[in-house]
Amino acid sequence: MRSLNLHLKVLITLLVSLGVLITAYQIFILGIPVTEDETDDLWNIDAKVEFQASPSVPVKMQMFVPPLNQDYVSLNESFISNNYGVSVNRAEGNRKVTWSARRASGKQTLYYRLVLTKRYSGEKPKEKGPIFRDSLPVEGAEKIAAEALLAPIRQHSADVETFVSETIKRVNNEKDDNVKLLLGGDSSVGNKAKIADLLLSIAHVPLQRVHTVRLASEQQTPELWLRTFNGENWLYFNPETGEQGLPNDRVIWWTGDEPLVNLDGGKKAQVTFSLNNSEMNAIHLAKLSDANTSAGFLEYSLYGLPLQTQQTYQIMIMIPIGVLVILILRNLGGLQTLGTFTPVLIALAFRETQLGFGIALFTLITALGLSLRSYLEHLKLQMLPRLSVVLTFVVVLIAVISLFSHKLGLERGLSVALFPMVILTMTIERLSITWEERGGNHAFKVAVGTIIAASLAHALMSIPELTYFVFTFPAVLLILVGFMLAMGRYRGYRLTELFRFKAFLKD
Amino acid sequence: MIGLWKRWKDLNAKGIMGINRRNADFVLKYNKRHLYPIVDDKIITKQRAIEAGIHVPEMYGVISTEKEIEKLDSIIGEHNDFVIKPAQGAGGDGILVIADRFEGRYKTVSGKIVSHDEIEYQLSSILTGLYSLGGHRDRALIEYRVKPDPIFKSISYEGVPDIRIIVLMGYPVMAMLRLPTRQSNGKANLHQGAIGVGVDLATGITLKGTWLNNKISKHPDTANAVDGVQLPNWDGFMKLAAGCYELCGLGYIGVDMVLDQDKGPLILELNARPGLNIQIANDCGLALRTNAIEAHIAEMQKKGIQETPEERVRFSQQAFGHVVTSEV
Repeated sequence: MRSLNLHLKVLITLLVSLGVLITAYQIFILGIPVTEDETDDLWNIDAKVEFQASPSVPVKMQMFVPPLNQDYVSLNESFISNNYGVSVNRAEGNRKVTWSARRASGKQTLYYRLVLTKRYSGEKPKEKGPIFRDSLPVEGAEKIAAEALLAPIRQHSADVETFVSETIKRVNNEKDDNVKLLLGGDSSVGNKAKIADLLLSIAHVPLQRVHTVRLASEQQTPELWLRTFNGENWLYFNPETGEQGLPNDRVIWWTGDEPLVNLDGGKKAQVTFSLNNSEMNAIHLAKLSDANTSAGFLEYSLYGLPLQTQQTYQIMIMIPIGVLVILILRNLGGLQTLGTFTPVLIALAFRETQLGFGIALFTLITALGLSLRSYLEHLKLQMLPRLSVVLTFVVVLIAVISLFSHKLGLERGLSVALFPMVILTMTIERLSITWEERGGNHAFKVAVGTIIAASLAHALMSIPELTYFVFTFPAVLLILVGFMLAMGRYRGYRLTELFRFKAFLKD
Repeated sequence: MIGLWKRWKDLNAKGIMGINRRNADFVLKYNKRHLYPIVDDKIITKQRAIEAGIHVPEMYGVISTEKEIEKLDSIIGEHNDFVIKPAQGAGGDGILVIADRFEGRYKTVSGKIVSHDEIEYQLSSILTGLYSLGGHRDRALIEYRVKPDPIFKSISYEGVPDIRIIVLMGYPVMAMLRLPTRQSNGKANLHQGAIGVGVDLATGITLKGTWLNNKISKHPDTANAVDGVQLPNWDGFMKLAAGCYELCGLGYIGVDMVLDQDKGPLILELNARPGLNIQIANDCGLALRTNAIEAHIAEMQKKGIQETPEERVRFSQQAFGHVVTSEV
């Protein structure tokens, strides 16, 4: 017995921890939302490209698009254009779309649309980057000014990060004569970045321009950031303040010195970005993004099933919950029910009829069925023919009820489907046997117990949050099995026994 | 809530056994599943008992198919009274007790007249499995009707009082006399309203009783005191019960016996899941006694002693007998 107990304990521990682990993995590692109501931001980025096409010259419009190897996942990407050929190619960590047409004239408008979200990206690839580079050529006064600037920077910095940060700060100090000289009167962000690039190149520190788009519902132009590689990660710097760290709401559009668009056979190229965000049900989002990533974590979940089957499983997967309710009510509470799992079946039937109406309907039909059954008793029929008569009676009764309630405008009455019919017949048969053998009192007690158990099971089985949770994290069922196993060795009193044996405590 | 918890602890301290505990620690532990048919099927029980030389009511015949219902007349033969039972019935359901014939019809113990057709319908219901445990097809058993010893007349209403002894590994644990009442329709099952009266294992003298989970000391129908009655041939009952362990191999059973005025103690049936109300009847928890017996068995096993039914009865009588009765 002891060894069996140990065996059981090990099994329970195994099942419960497996269930907890799988669920925790799904929640924390895969990031599957815990409730259905959880929503995620969905960003819709439109880049509108406008230009004047030169007549009778082939047009070739090239534009950078996000490389999408970051924290964002693209859900949908489209290139909208009339009469243009579209091709996308990757180069040096960037992605470029090329629209081309043999002939075009007048004002041209092309669209690039990207829908992306923050969640559900797979593992990040290991980042690579240069850690050394040659100096840019610089001569004369500029060289002296640059070196004069670099000397204090070297003094004030400890590593690549502080060095770059300090450089950017110095370059932004326009009162400094050396800076003035290097800027040559042009104090735009681009020029400052260029000077910072020059200074850092003398120190052999690599620097890259990064063009980002901010995820905010507004029109904007790409924002320039600088980044350097410290051997492990890319470090991002604001070119105006020298602050380190790219804010979370920035999407890298492209890197490098090249401009956003490159137009052949046209002029006045102009790109406007407009963004808007929408919220989306998290699990749907997960499903969408799943298709666009290699993670595929939902593929082997129940969400991988066809939609129709999913709906069936959403009901089926709740049955263990209902069974658990019966188990607790019977073994812990001591409630008497008709048969072991009849209440679960009735609870399932309540799904179609709704609770209040279901109880009324069940009570009515069962009462009528019972009276028929007691009448049939006098005819001394054998079991099978008698059951058949009762079933037919139930069918007729349900049809009549449906008809009447329909005429009365109660559409509820139509909700009785095929399934509850057989359950009703079985209930009537078993109840009448109980009635005969144990008396009306006991039969009533059992019937009430069954209704209570069925209602409770139904209430629990139809909580949408719970359905979602169990359907999304089926490993929870392992935890349930663990509990059921533990219940299998439960030796304590049932609640009703505390009353049953009350007589002992009277003296 | 706290009141319930206190009650829980009090019951536990008294050694009261609950259903879950009975199932987990006794029924599942001592009763091997494959042996259940021996007790669940009364025909097999009877055959086993006859082989072992244990007294049972005489079997007149078995009906196992619809066709065989025709043989009813030849099975009954000249007997004026007989009992029809489902072989796998539970809790006394489906039992028809015919006490006499009445102008071509039959008369049950309660005086109800039934026709031959009604008996055939009852047989047919039994065969289709209406009363069997799992609803399987069943067989009907027709047997000798026990004539209760007149000793019970004063404290019994109709029907046949029977004696239940719970036996753990061959050691009698607790005994109870079950008396039918008007409410139980002459049946001796407690859940149908019969009275359970505790019996002192050593002396066979009745103690107080239980009726519908309450303690009582008088029969509700006859108003006679149920306690202080000396059951005749008590040691015979005890030995019969103790011997049932060898008969069926199940470690935890309730043995139901009757005292026939002509044939003495007879075994009616065995029950692999005996009820718990016997505790109320004896005002004593089962767990206290089973613990003592399990300890004794472990001790005997260590010594390598295999006790005979007589020795087992003696142990139980010494350990649990001579109950000091308290006034209710």
